Amino acid sequence: MKISDIFSYAFSAIKLRKLRAGLTTLGVVIGIAAIVALLSLSQGFQGSITAQVQTGFATNTVIVSTIDLGSNQGGPPQATESDFKLFVNDTQTIDQIGNVTMSVAIIQKSIYLEVGNKTLVVSIVGVDLDKYAEIYSSTFVAESGSIPSSPQNETVVIGKRVSDPWENGTFFCNVNDQAEIIWSTRSGFAFKNESYTGVVAAVLKEVGGFSFGGTADSTVYIPLLQAQSFFGSDECNAIIVQLESDSEATIESFTEAIKEAFGDQVSVISSTAVLDTVSSLFSTIEIFLTGIAGISLLVAGIGIMNIMIVSLMERTREIGILKALGMKGRTVLLIFLGEAIIIGLMGAAIGIASGWGIANIVVKVFSGGGLLQLRGATGEMTITPLLTPTVFFGAFAFGLLVSVVFALYPAWRASKLKPVEALRYE
Amino acid sequence: MVSLTALVVEAIKLRKTYMLGKVPVDALRGVNLKIERGEFLAVLGPSGSGKSTLLNLIGALDKPTEGAVFVNCIDISTLNDNQLADLRRRIGFVFQFFNLIPRFTARQNVELSMAIAGLGKDERKKRAEELLETVGLKERINHKPTELSGGEQQRVAIARALANNPSFLLMDEPTGNIDSKTASEIIHLVKRLNQEKDITTVMVTHDQRLASEAKRVVQMFDGLIVQDVVN
Repeated sequence: MKISDIFSYAFSAIKLRKLRAGLTTLGVVIGIAAIVALLSLSQGFQGSITAQVQTGFATNTVIVSTIDLGSNQGGPPQATESDFKLFVNDTQTIDQIGNVTMSVAIIQKSIYLEVGNKTLVVSIVGVDLDKYAEIYSSTFVAESGSIPSSPQNETVVIGKRVSDPWENGTFFCNVNDQAEIIWSTRSGFAFKNESYTGVVAAVLKEVGGFSFGGTADSTVYIPLLQAQSFFGSDECNAIIVQLESDSEATIESFTEAIKEAFGDQVSVISSTAVLDTVSSLFSTIEIFLTGIAGISLLVAGIGIMNIMIVSLMERTREIGILKALGMKGRTVLLIFLGEAIIIGLMGAAIGIASGWGIANIVVKVFSGGGLLQLRGATGEMTITPLLTPTVFFGAFAFGLLVSVVFALYPAWRASKLKPVEALRYE
Repeated sequence: MVSLTALVVEAIKLRKTYMLGKVPVDALRGVNLKIERGEFLAVLGPSGSGKSTLLNLIGALDKPTEGAVFVNCIDISTLNDNQLADLRRRIGFVFQFFNLIPRFTARQNVELSMAIAGLGKDERKKRAEELLETVGLKERINHKPTELSGGEQQRVAIARALANNPSFLLMDEPTGNIDSKTASEIIHLVKRLNQEKDITTVMVTHDQRLASEAKRVVQMFDGLIVQDVVN
């Protein structure tokens, strides 16, 4: 019997039981749709994060800090932050390490920024503006005003979200505005406010996304020396180091040199390491989600098997007729598998389409409510669902595979029916 | 004296024992039968005499407990399942309950046996229409079995049985489910096919009157052939 005839026979059998076939297909549709929706959302999420990390973090730049960003996976538990402190003049030590082009210390605090009668809580970064602009030449760029190369003490450079925090055209402050920088400390039981008046020299262009040491939209930048004297300390939060290249070997040897100079108290964070952490986190989440969706597909598979066995009972006599007309056992097998293939193909196609639709609807609905639009201190990001060819063809193949595997047993039983007994079946 | 090559079916010492629950039932107890090309043979006997069992064994639908069946001089016990399937394509079956596929039209039912044999679409369609015309159903080719009378359904079944140019036609109580007037029409159709197209036919029946239409009548009783008469 020709393959086309086998499939048209299988199709005629499915058409006869439209509702039942439809419900069976629905099981496959739900499983595939769940897998596609979850994976395209999670991959879209991962893609956005990766893109943001790559823009906000030059690849030849590493951050030396006392914060451990999960770099000791599998090792013994450690305090995430040690008592060890980095100081501004540690840059001199770092500059002497080979492959280092330049390094810049960062002092980061939280302050109140007061302009007129409005106040905003923002993070403030004291940094050598000149060097910082050189390291982050693509993001630390003025949208209005200009970043002075030899800044005054009162010079202030503000991120886009500080200038326009509510995104509605009501500006908090602009270039040439005077801004009061207020730092609250405690002295015994009393709060002590220290403050000075700065002048906004530049508003940076919008960066968006997360930032690891790089330019951030909700941050105020002041000269390093001013920060040292205002906060009364030479202690810095991190030192940003630009290396000659972004090769793994360069980063590796730099990390070794840092360990030698400071002991195990500091860690070196590179964009590669951050991306590795992000992607390993996501692959764990994906395995978990796919597993759950896979269970629903398994249930669909059992549904297919169930329906095939019922169909086998109902059609025993029909199979007897086919065999009496000279149909071979393997053709009977192929007819049953053909029915499963048709159900699997339809289920996979509809499932992929509706999964993709669900992912897009989820993003649309929730981004309106701001749930999937992450707003942090450093900015925001929007997720676009991503349907990769791997997910597309994988879902197709998986749907088909489940359908065929669960149809194998009923199909095999059908093929083994004895003609006389099948014909006698009522 | 008929030459050996004209022998279509030969059954030698056929025995068939069924298990009815735990009780063994001897349906056939040593049957010898030779059928030659062009014969119209009726197997007559009361129910339970083993005539349908004999038909199933000759038609390669079932296997004997003992003995051998030769079809076109081939011992069918030596054939595997696939070869048996191929053999069945060369045997035309007509059943008491028609056994048409309900979702197919008359033409599609006739086409089905040709599709199983691997014939192309156009050839199938043409031959199915010719065959349905031969059995007198030219006007009903696109009707489904539920839209046809019992007699018409049996004509479709006969057309289907003839589709692959079978070596012989096996009919198991072909008129058992049809009123007597239509039954005699069916018998005359079968007689005509046998005479005009020289189609070897074996018909199982319990109806003495129908059996008398055949050229040769084999009488069965209790699993044995008790009489073999040529009219």
